[in-house]
Amino acid sequence: MTNTVLERLRAPFEGPNTTGNSTAFWVVLALGVVGLLAYPSIASGGAAENMSQYLAYAFLALSLCFIWGYCGILSFGQVAFFGVAGYTFGIVAINIGSYTGISLAVVVALFVATAFAAILGYFMFYGGVRDVYVTIITLVVAVILHRFMGQTAGSEWAVGDARLGGYNGMVGVPNDAIGFGSVGIDMTGTGLYYIMVGTLLATYLGLRALVNSQFGYAMVATREDEDRTAMFGYNTEFIKLATFTFGGTLAGLSGVLYMFYSPGGYINPDVFSVSAAALPVIWVSIGGRKSLIGAISAALVIQWFNNRIDGWLSTGFELPALTPSLELTTTTVVPGNEWSLVIIGSVLLFVILVMPEGVAPRIESTVHRVLERLERRREQRSQSADVEAETETEVPE
Amino acid sequence: MGPYELLSLFFQFLDSFAFLVLATVGLAIIFGMMGVINLAHGEFILVGAYATTLSFHSLADLGVPLALPIAMVVGVLVTMVFGLVLEVTVMRRLYGRLLDSMVATWAISLIMIQLLRIQFGNSIDNIAIPGGNVSFGPYTNPYYELFLVGAAIAVLIGLYWLFTRTDFGMRARATIQDKETARSMGVDTDRMYMTTFVIGSGLAGLTGALYAPMQSMSPEAGTGFLVEAFVTVVVGGTSVIVGTLLASGLLGLPKAGFEYAFNSQLIGQVAMLVVAIVAIRLMPSGITGLVESWRQSRRESND
Amino acid sequence: MSERRFSRRRALATGLSGVGVALAGCLAEEDDGNGSGNGGNGETTGTTDDDAPTVGILENRTGNLALEGTSKHQASLLAIEEINENGGVLGEEVEVFDPDPRSDNQRYTELTQEAIRDEEVDALWAAYSSAARETIRPLINQHDQLYFYTTQYEGGVCDKTTFPVGATARQQLGAVVPYLIEEYGERIYIIAADYNFGQLSGEWVNILAEEEGAEIVGEEYIPLESSSFSSTINNIQGEDPDFIMSMLVGGNHAAFYQERAANDLDIPIGSSTTMAQGYEHLRLDPPALTDMYVGVNYMQELQTDASQEFVDAFYEKFPDAEYINQEAQNNYFSVYMWKEAVERAGTFDQEAVIEELESGIEVDAPEGPIELDPATHHMTHHMRVAHADENHEITFDGEQYIEPTFLHDAGCDLTVESEQTQYEPSDVYE
Repeated sequence: MTNTVLERLRAPFEGPNTTGNSTAFWVVLALGVVGLLAYPSIASGGAAENMSQYLAYAFLALSLCFIWGYCGILSFGQVAFFGVAGYTFGIVAINIGSYTGISLAVVVALFVATAFAAILGYFMFYGGVRDVYVTIITLVVAVILHRFMGQTAGSEWAVGDARLGGYNGMVGVPNDAIGFGSVGIDMTGTGLYYIMVGTLLATYLGLRALVNSQFGYAMVATREDEDRTAMFGYNTEFIKLATFTFGGTLAGLSGVLYMFYSPGGYINPDVFSVSAAALPVIWVSIGGRKSLIGAISAALVIQWFNNRIDGWLSTGFELPALTPSLELTTTTVVPGNEWSLVIIGSVLLFVILVMPEGVAPRIESTVHRVLERLERRREQRSQSADVEAETETEVPE
Repeated sequence: MGPYELLSLFFQFLDSFAFLVLATVGLAIIFGMMGVINLAHGEFILVGAYATTLSFHSLADLGVPLALPIAMVVGVLVTMVFGLVLEVTVMRRLYGRLLDSMVATWAISLIMIQLLRIQFGNSIDNIAIPGGNVSFGPYTNPYYELFLVGAAIAVLIGLYWLFTRTDFGMRARATIQDKETARSMGVDTDRMYMTTFVIGSGLAGLTGALYAPMQSMSPEAGTGFLVEAFVTVVVGGTSVIVGTLLASGLLGLPKAGFEYAFNSQLIGQVAMLVVAIVAIRLMPSGITGLVESWRQSRRESND
Repeated sequence: MSERRFSRRRALATGLSGVGVALAGCLAEEDDGNGSGNGGNGETTGTTDDDAPTVGILENRTGNLALEGTSKHQASLLAIEEINENGGVLGEEVEVFDPDPRSDNQRYTELTQEAIRDEEVDALWAAYSSAARETIRPLINQHDQLYFYTTQYEGGVCDKTTFPVGATARQQLGAVVPYLIEEYGERIYIIAADYNFGQLSGEWVNILAEEEGAEIVGEEYIPLESSSFSSTINNIQGEDPDFIMSMLVGGNHAAFYQERAANDLDIPIGSSTTMAQGYEHLRLDPPALTDMYVGVNYMQELQTDASQEFVDAFYEKFPDAEYINQEAQNNYFSVYMWKEAVERAGTFDQEAVIEELESGIEVDAPEGPIELDPATHHMTHHMRVAHADENHEITFDGEQYIEPTFLHDAGCDLTVESEQTQYEPSDVYE
């Protein structure tokens, strides 16, 4: 009985377009959420604060996974929408400054990021720009923003009271709380952390429902064969535009949440840099571009790993070793943290070569295969038992 | 604008043009043939530059005459060997997988930058720009920069000859056009890929060797080539020679022109990038696509 | 350990800290094993003991600012090691928290969070670029963290817990611009990096030129990514100035000096950024930097006794080090300055230490004896004009003892009023 209720509850979030359509998956997901919620009480203050930042990045990963994994649009410039939203938030919040102002800043920032994505998307998709050409245009947009914002140091580069600040960045954006009038919700510390986890979970479930809807099918069809989908009467240009635009909204949301995390309300043009632009591509390729949960996990794990690896490399590892008299002991190897980028690069390379579809789909297919094998073995056993008992009529479907 | 200013502007255009051509060809040839984008292209160039610089210093210390040209040959050869090793170990698994290849080569560039730093430190000593300069009115321009322009044109002519006049070129074009048919006609496409990758690497190495005296040598120096090269390849499209030539011209003009008009390098750069975006929008398969369709329509009207 | 080394150590310890360092019998354990010279990279202590005094040293050893950051990191480790060998601070051995920020401002934020909240560092040295400093300063302010920023910079930071001890643009340019006007003439061409530091430095040159009655004949700002300078060279040739003021920064911009040599452009250059940070005079083939004049407070070529002792100790610990830049010296003396303030205060408590620093403090730095200006938290520096000849040999001239006057003019007095501002020249000058 409970099973069917649960199944009905799960139904809108499941379908051929998402990995993880089993009870086991939902249990693991629930455990993961509990783990995330518990993290601030386990980890130290600085580490928990850093995790808030990675949670904000997870939305950026989702935005790329959504447009690339499900509609085949590889944007190298999702950070452009992230950064535009961040700067817009800053400009509005600095100029208005109350709780209401911050709420308004969220709305305006999301709107501007969305509109920017829509304009860029219209420009590209209705002009027949495809594949790697989309990748390049989006990257170039980010590069232009990076170079342009970098030189806005002078006092003439200001919107109202908000100085853009060049490479030194925009500082002092109010970001403590969101609300109306004198009523506000605290947006700092662990409070912000829990809000981020909640928003992330809701966004994730919403996207699952979306990609398993009619529109999701159309997106996937466009990804698989755009010309054929168009021949069936779908307006693929519009599908791509809508997907890309919504991806821009998600990246904008990521930028807004980042601003809430950002200590002292700070943002600088580094958010548009080529190395920042590459991060979402890395998260999504590693996590699995057709797996929303893979993208989220990869963003969290890779950033966390990147943050920790220096410490591990410089405190060293215990390795087994032989003494000259051939006794087995351990020895501590301290590679030094100059090796961390080499190791990160090697891990990326390894995953791309060995698991081209990404880690999450690989885990799922492995789990699937193991379960299937167990199932088959059980069936065989019960079949042989059946044969021994008596011949039975075919079981109706 | 007097005649001297005009000449100065013309030299600046030639500079940008030569830079774009040389930064691009290696990347373009690999993209055109195998459909992969090598994000470690800047680091391939850097391998050539490092090998040139380091061997130049050891040769010069030994008092070998013509140290710089010899060192440049060494730079090219080292990069070719490096490309070969990487092709066999990594790249051949990525052909046709455009997006995976971007992530994989990004990882390779991370690794290479850091390995160069661990091995050679934060910088290595530079080579001075050789030769004198031509002077016109109050201005000068180094001969070496004119030599780079010549080198860029020579590379394009050399590639034209390679692709149109040699047996290799014929097979290469057949492979690009239709891999399956080429294979059934007895072309060893895997070998073609390997050779092409090594040639592309060699061209990157040549660029590194030629620009070694112009750049300050540090592990990050390769990143300066990437964005421009990347953009030029895509604006050019899949045809290496025509695409690279026209795209370099198309992008070099606004760069030099706007920079001159506004006396601001930033405006020059931004103008170049904006032209690139508009060009891609108007010619979604690059200049090559436009040239192709123009050729086709001419053929049809002739019939 | 050789006798020579011991005597130098003692000389440094007593010389630099001024007040008597308690050489309590128990010398700290020597940890020389890792001075392998590859940047001392192996020395990070992952997590440090809770009770022991800890300093955070966040300096770049990878990424595009590693060239400048490595030497800062090394000098800090040297100072801490010397202090620990001579009995530590208040008799306690100082621990170091020094992960690598990799020239990445995002990482700077993360590591500063950890340094302040998890490691609870007693003092923090961090950031090479102004952007990195501004990235972490909100965190510094939130936690009232004692923070030393040691890079030479555009100036103007007036912040209760921040001590920008490097020379400011005004101090550096104030040393070199009037010197060159005197020496070569009054027509100046400015080229500078197109971002905050470069643009503000450009403003300073304009201000100084006006004060000296000189004329700016051209001004050009170069994007940080750019390494092509043929148009710039031709523009300069067109104007034919008496000298060039160059505030170019980073590896890409070094190409300018190479092109200058190839074009036989023999117009002298003044600078606040070249040689003393990225040792271009050693990296570039002569004669690229012929007649380069830089306003500096320190370069390793400085031939005073204090400087050479420092240089010897540095290369003994890091035999493969590439250069000791101006910032490395600033890290070195400021660690000793912190030590003295702690010992005067008798506690590691940051508020008390800041109060002690603000009471006026002097240090015998490798550049010479210098003092902290309590009102602005900046140093009065020995500024010199370093000159490179056609073989890139360095000589020094025109030494002046320059106070950090700008913030006084701006009305910054941190002993009276706590602030967290950054002033710009336009706040004071028209």
